[in-house]
Order: sequence, then structure tokens, then C-alpha cells
Amino acid sequence: MGLLRDWHYVEKAVQIPALAELIREALIHALFVRDDRVLPRDLIADLNRVPPVTVKVKEDAEVRKLVRVLNGQESTVSLGLSAEDYHYFRTQLGVGRTREFGVTMRPRTLLTYDWIVPEQRGVQLDFTGYAGIEFAVDGHRAIAQVGALWKRLYDEASERGHLVPFVPTVPLDFAVGDALYGDAPFASFRGGFASYVNALRTISAYGQRARIGFEEVANYGTAYDLLHAAIPLAGEFFIPLSAALRLEAKPAARKTLTYGFDDPAKLSAGLDRLCRFGPGVNWVHITDAVAAKILRPATPPEASTVQVSLGATTTGIAAKEKALDVAMVGFKAKSSETPNPYDVSADAYRKTADTVARSLFVGEVRVPAKSFGEFLGKVRAFGDQSAAKAGAYANLQETGSVSTYPFFSAPKDRTKVYDLSKGVRAIVTRTPGAAFTSRLAHLWDEEPNFLRRMSLVRSLKLEIDEAHVVQPLISP
Amino acid sequence: MASLDYAYRRLVNTLGPERVARSEFERMVYSHDFASLPKIALLQWRLYPDFVALPQTTEEVAALVKLSDESLLQITPRGGGTGWCGGSVPNRGGVLVDMRKMNNVLALDPDTRTVTVEAGATWKEVEDFVESKGFALPTIPLNAAGSTVGGSINSGSTGFGGLRGGSVRDAIASLEVILPNGSLLKTASQADAGGQLANLTPLFFGAEGTLGIVTKAILRVVPKPEISKPLTYAFPNLAAAARCLKGIVDAALTPYHAALMDRDHFVFDRALEADSPDPTDLALVAVQGSKDDVADQEKAMDGLAAKEQGTKLPPAVGDRLWRDRYNNYSARRLSRGLMVSYNLVPLRRLPEAVEKAMEIRDKLKLNGSVQAHIVDTTTAALDPYVLMDDTKPSGGTALGFVKRMGDAAFKMEGHPMGLGLFLVFNLRKMHGNATSAYSAVKGVFDPRKKINGGKTFEVWTKYPWPGLRAIPPPGMAIGLEVAAILRRVKPTRDRFVRAYEHTKEG
Repeated sequence: MGLLRDWHYVEKAVQIPALAELIREALIHALFVRDDRVLPRDLIADLNRVPPVTVKVKEDAEVRKLVRVLNGQESTVSLGLSAEDYHYFRTQLGVGRTREFGVTMRPRTLLTYDWIVPEQRGVQLDFTGYAGIEFAVDGHRAIAQVGALWKRLYDEASERGHLVPFVPTVPLDFAVGDALYGDAPFASFRGGFASYVNALRTISAYGQRARIGFEEVANYGTAYDLLHAAIPLAGEFFIPLSAALRLEAKPAARKTLTYGFDDPAKLSAGLDRLCRFGPGVNWVHITDAVAAKILRPATPPEASTVQVSLGATTTGIAAKEKALDVAMVGFKAKSSETPNPYDVSADAYRKTADTVARSLFVGEVRVPAKSFGEFLGKVRAFGDQSAAKAGAYANLQETGSVSTYPFFSAPKDRTKVYDLSKGVRAIVTRTPGAAFTSRLAHLWDEEPNFLRRMSLVRSLKLEIDEAHVVQPLISP
Repeated sequence: MASLDYAYRRLVNTLGPERVARSEFERMVYSHDFASLPKIALLQWRLYPDFVALPQTTEEVAALVKLSDESLLQITPRGGGTGWCGGSVPNRGGVLVDMRKMNNVLALDPDTRTVTVEAGATWKEVEDFVESKGFALPTIPLNAAGSTVGGSINSGSTGFGGLRGGSVRDAIASLEVILPNGSLLKTASQADAGGQLANLTPLFFGAEGTLGIVTKAILRVVPKPEISKPLTYAFPNLAAAARCLKGIVDAALTPYHAALMDRDHFVFDRALEADSPDPTDLALVAVQGSKDDVADQEKAMDGLAAKEQGTKLPPAVGDRLWRDRYNNYSARRLSRGLMVSYNLVPLRRLPEAVEKAMEIRDKLKLNGSVQAHIVDTTTAALDPYVLMDDTKPSGGTALGFVKRMGDAAFKMEGHPMGLGLFLVFNLRKMHGNATSAYSAVKGVFDPRKKINGGKTFEVWTKYPWPGLRAIPPPGMAIGLEVAAILRRVKPTRDRFVRAYEHTKEG
């Protein structure tokens, strides 16, 4: 979400003579917190300018028309607006055009923080009402419009005998599109969200319908895998409208097993063994005591809780559970009755999500399973030092990496977000094999290979979005 | 353009005389890939490279790429040459860079569960290495014995283990690539297991060597399973075997591999080896895991096969097929040449797809076998092969089979795999309005089209003159369609195996 635009803006800002004396991180800080002691007022006014027009999308033809209007291929008349709206639209878009303006997609739920550079003068698309889900009659597949809620997809798929393999590590009320132009942390034990996307239905920068990938099959051997290269930044290359998702069959038997740990070392060792477990594990969700209390207020929390969703044949589930107990040896408590965050009613899920959303999140940290317990301890200590009680939600992946989302009980002001992000980065640099992948971490990163890759991605964006319509890059 | 002699001297100065070849015979070896091409193709392309270079280090590859700025010779990277659509064959001569001397397995890191390999190593070599250390590769391309790591990444392969281990793309942690400007690019951050930090690896997956030369790969490994057991089931027909494969996914089972082969494959096999399994339409399913897990999966598989009137075959059949799994095209010895058509089709339509493949094969009067395997929960790879003899006038017309199979895959909401030199006309059918975005990728990485130019999204000819420099991709489609029509009007069926003919006519 806006990563390329933010990155481009920072890259250009450091080249401005007046700002060149600032070190990169100080500049990012100033831009992020809108520091008027460092930055000129005009620039801050620019950064605080929000898109003047929000369009609630109901069908894809509207988006196509809008893009064509922004490209100058069609007149604003063709938007079919009321006289008042028409006048407003023209005033905002058509008159005094001095800067690029384009289309940006508003995530339904944002886990972390807003982008540094908002869309300056263009149109914001609100996909809340564009939320259809179409399941394949035969086969395990769904086409979900970007506004469709993940929880609805999960429940409806289950009713039809499918399993949605990916779950949000932080159980917020995300829409599917939030993983394409927001920061929804969908993942399963076997892979990230992108592994389950066969195709995207999009509108290109020229207002054409463009399908990236293949809805029914994987897209191997079809030239560059543009789909998977673009998915983390899909909203900066195209306007995604729907995602063709690869689902799985619901296993004959499913069980959620909950293990409580009080020793971080035993937790790490257990997770390290668990990531070698093999098939049968759908997802592994990990919470510390603070997060567990938010998710299950009625249950006294353990220091760390690991929930494992198992699926198998009816005859095989017992053997899997036995093998899992062996892998998780060292646990303090085990239960098969504790509810998991996902298999609850939509109302209960939303209620929990509202509570979860009150915390301040700084983004994803990837930690090797064997260092997870130690990392959690450091985050907790950092939270105590910063007077912001810390916790974490995490999921284990079979690669041996734990995708962790630390959070803090603190007001969500930008200065606090920045300081806490910086603190988490300091912990990550002291944890071997760990990586901080938040948007701010991307902006901070000055590793030459990373900068080259970002520069290539930017060039690709400028080639694909030659019309400068989809979240156009702007300079200070 | 510098003279060829000058270019040769510069190449020899860079690599040494023993690793630069320019003899007629050596160049001829590199003038085709796994597909047999009719001689008529030489009218259109200069398939013989001017030189063959065999670098041993990443630095040498970079030096070769930089040299092309002086010599202005095209560079064609090549792995094991097991492709089937001309991706690793020159179209205008130039320097062919054979990566097979870069075949070292460099390091295995048990902590990060990754193995670092040079791009010229074959998958079988990597598999043997990691297995000796107690690990396994999550997924392995079909032609693992000859297919190199760099080659199959560039062709976007599918293969063994996809349903359980994910795609080859997901098995790549990072790549080292020499870009067309001679610089080295690491495609992903090693610390970032999820590939969030501007991961460019997917762009190179299926790029057919058009974006740069892959020199090293860091691949994920998984713990070696306790037991691996191949199971085979004979079915009354191939569609029943296909329904059984679909049933595996519907029952949420995750065997390591699930494939089907028609009886004709075994007819060919028997013509070569008398003790090969009895010809029958069968499914080969490999289950892996702990003893209890394997027993449970086997029981579930037996039940699924029985539903489709499948009969379990003796373990020796499965063991033999599994042992020979990387050597699937021995029938080539019967006919001098063989053509494989790789397609992805929706798994739900696999029964229909295998019947369609048999119909096309029979209509075109070809000898061949229909095979398929599960790729993931929605996708099956349909990869029938046909025998051909390109020394006969009608030999080249077998290429029409690939065109017809590709068209059938599109009709079933799937797609053929690979574009290379011969199948570029499929690009627009594959990507529709998004085609320009795909072409943009090449423009960003290789604006001067130095590496494997004139492929994947355009078709260059060997002629430098305006108007003849390139042919519109649909022109290739027409050529292959004509080949298919010629096959249809051919009065007789091919005769490579008498027993096979007998069955077909009987």
C-alpha cells in the first residue's frame, strides 16, 4: 500500500539540496510525523492533503470509466453524476491540474499506519460495497471481489465443503483486497496469501479489464510471473477488483489443539520441531499472554499459547494428534476445547476484532522459530521500557519462520508509531536471522541490493502504469 | 559488429580455449532442445550458435555478458536443454552460454533449511546431495535427471511434489542473476523468508532466460520423510484414473505425487524392455510420512481407487515406476524424436482433458502417450507426448499436435506452458489485455534485447532486414495449424511400434 510512492518520495526528497544534509532516517522521521521544525510548511501541507473525491464502487464499469476520465479519454460528462456532484468532480479533478493525480484504493482495515504520502489530488476508491463472492460449482476455488470480508469468505466456503487455507494472523475484520492494497497478514502454515492467488481481475492504467494470471489454474510457464511479483504491491500496478483464490477441500476431520507454554526456550524448541511436521497442519497461531487475554478474556492466559489447526482423515486424526503432542513436548497445558479465533460466529469475530484493533501495530517481524521465545521476551521488555505494554500475535510457517506482529497498548499517534517501530527494528537487528518487513523498515533499508530491486520495481511500475493513474509516483 | 574471429579471440581470452567451442559438430548439438525440429526451421532461424561458451563462475558469466557489448552477438543461456519450445536455442546465432559447468552444490544450511546451488547443477544432483544430509527437496521438476536448476526455474516448471510441497517458485528463497548490463542482482533478501522486501524472484520464474542469466539459487529444503511408498492402480480407462486423481484433492489428501499414464506409454516401454509393466491405464501415487501416516494414506487411496474400479497393482510395479520416474521419455529411442506438449488444465476438468488429448493424438494419426499429474488443488499438468521422426518429410508435422493441445487447454480454461521461440503466439491468448504489462518487464531489464532476444513475446528471424527481422506471432500459429492439417490429411497412421498399431486398429 503506497510503498512505492512513499519510497520514491523519500528517494527524491534526499536529493533536494535543502534536505540533503539530513540523514535519510531523520528525513523519514520528519516526513512520517510531519515535523514542521524540519520540513517546510508547504511540504507538510502537501503531505496532509487527502484525496478530495471518494467513489464507492459498485461495479467494475464505474472504475473503468473513472480511469478513462482521469486519462482524458472520456469527458466527466460520461460519469453520469448529478449536477452538483458533477460540478464538484470537475472542480477537484479537471481544473488547475498542476500535479499528477490518480486513483488510490482505500483498505477497509489497516493493521499498521497510513502511508506517508497520500493521494494528492485524485480519487479514492472505496470497495466496501463491492463484495461479491463466487464459488466454483466443481473444484475448490472462489472469486472474491476485493471488498468481500475474509470472515464471510471463510464461513461461506466452509458451508460449501471448502477450506480457506489462509487466515489473518492478527484477527481483524479484513477484506480480501486488504492483502492487495493494504497490509492484511493472511497466511497459512504452508505459505503466504500469494500462494493461494491464481489470478487478479484488474483494471489497467488504460481503463481496460486485465486479468493477471489464470483464474482456474496456476500460471507457470507463461513468461514472467508478474502476478506473484506484483501481489504485495498490486494496488500500485493495477486496480485490483477481484481475486481468484485457490481453496482446499475441507478435511474429513478437523481439530484445533491448544498448547500452553510458560518457558520461552521450550516454546521455541516446540515450534522448531513443529515446523518439520509436514502435511495435516492448516495453520499455527501463536499468542503471548497479552494477546491471549484479548482473544479469550474468559480464559486465564498462559505465558504463550500455540493453537494448531489439524486436518486429516477420520482414522488418521488421532495419530496426527499423537505426533503433534510429541513435537510440542515441553508444554505446560493442552486442550482441545479452547476456541480458535476464526471458527466463531461473525458477530463474535467482529467484536473481538474491534478490541484487537485498539492496539498499536508496527508491522511484521519474521523470526526463526528457534529464536521466537527470546524475541518475544525482548519485545515485552522494550514495551515496559517505553511505557507501552507489548504483546504479539504470530503464525508459524513450515519454512521455520514465525511471522510475528508485535503490538503495544499505546495511543496511535504517528510519533509513537515511529518510535516503537524504531525500537522493534533495534531488537530485530540483534536477533540473528530475523527481518523487519514493515513499510517503515522498507524505507529505512539502505542495503544496495534492496535499493536496486526497489529501483527495478519502480521502473516496472512506471512502464506498466505509463499513464500515471494508479497511485502515481510524486516528488516533493 | 566485430568480426567473428575477433569475438572468438575475446571469448578465448576470457574463458580459455578449452571452454569455447566453434566446431560445426558442437554447434549442431546446441541447435535444438528436447523437441525435434524439422530442417525447414533453418530457413527462418539461425539455430546454430556462432560459439558455445562454458563458464565456470559467476564472474565469467558477467564477463561474457559484457563482451556482447563489443561483439554485438546475441546471448542465449542454456541449461540441460530439456525445454520443448526453443527457449534455449539461438535464433540468430551468437554466443550460447552452456551453464552446465557451473554444477556445484555449494552449501546446505540446516538452520535456515536452505541449500545453495549453482544454476548448472541438475535437480537429481541436488536431490542426491540433500538426501545424503537428511533433507529433501519439497518439489522437483519432471526431467530432474537432465534438467538444471537454472533451466527449470527459467521455464517455470512443475513436477513431483507440487500438491504437497508447493510450486518450484515457492521453493526458491533467492536467486543470483547476471543482468544484461553485466551486473549481479540478488532477487530477494536472504533474511526475509517471506519475500516481502522487493522480491523479484517470481519475475525470473518462467522468464525463459530473457531477463538475465541465473547463476546461483538458494532453494528451500524440507526434512526427509520417514517412509516413501509408491502405489499404483490400474483403471478400466484413463478418464477413470483422472477422476481418481481429482478425488484425491476432493478428499483433502496430500500425497507427495499423483500422476496418471495411459497404456500406450507401457506399450512403448515394452517394445524397448521386455520386463516392463503390463500395458494398462494407471495412476501412480507416492505417499510419504511416518509409518502410521503412510498406512492411513494408503488405506484412503485404496478406497478412492476402488470407487473408480481401480485395481491395486503389485508393489514391484510402483517401485519400478518410481525408480524410473525421471526417465519418462525412453520411447524416443523408437522414433528418433519425440514431442511433448505441456499444458495446465483445471483439475476438475482432467477427465475431459485426457480424453481430448487422446482424441487429438488419434485424429492426427500419431503414436503417443497421454500423461498428467496434479500440480495443486485447482491445477493439473497434462503432458502428453508423441513420437516423431524428423528425418521423414511428414516428421515435422507432428508439431501440429502441440498447437492443437494448446488450443484445447485454452478452451478448458487452462493454458499451454512455455513460449520460447515456437509458441510466442500463445502470449496474447494467455494474458489478453495484460500482455503489454508482460512485455514491459523485458523492457525494464533488457532494453537492448541482448539476452535471448526475439523470444517469449516476439519472434525474430535470422534476417536483419526491415520487414523480415521479425514475424508476427500469429504467423507461427498459422504454420503449426497447417502442420496439424497436413497430419489430418495424411492417409496413414505413424508406425513406430507394431504392437501399438495393432491395438489402435483392433
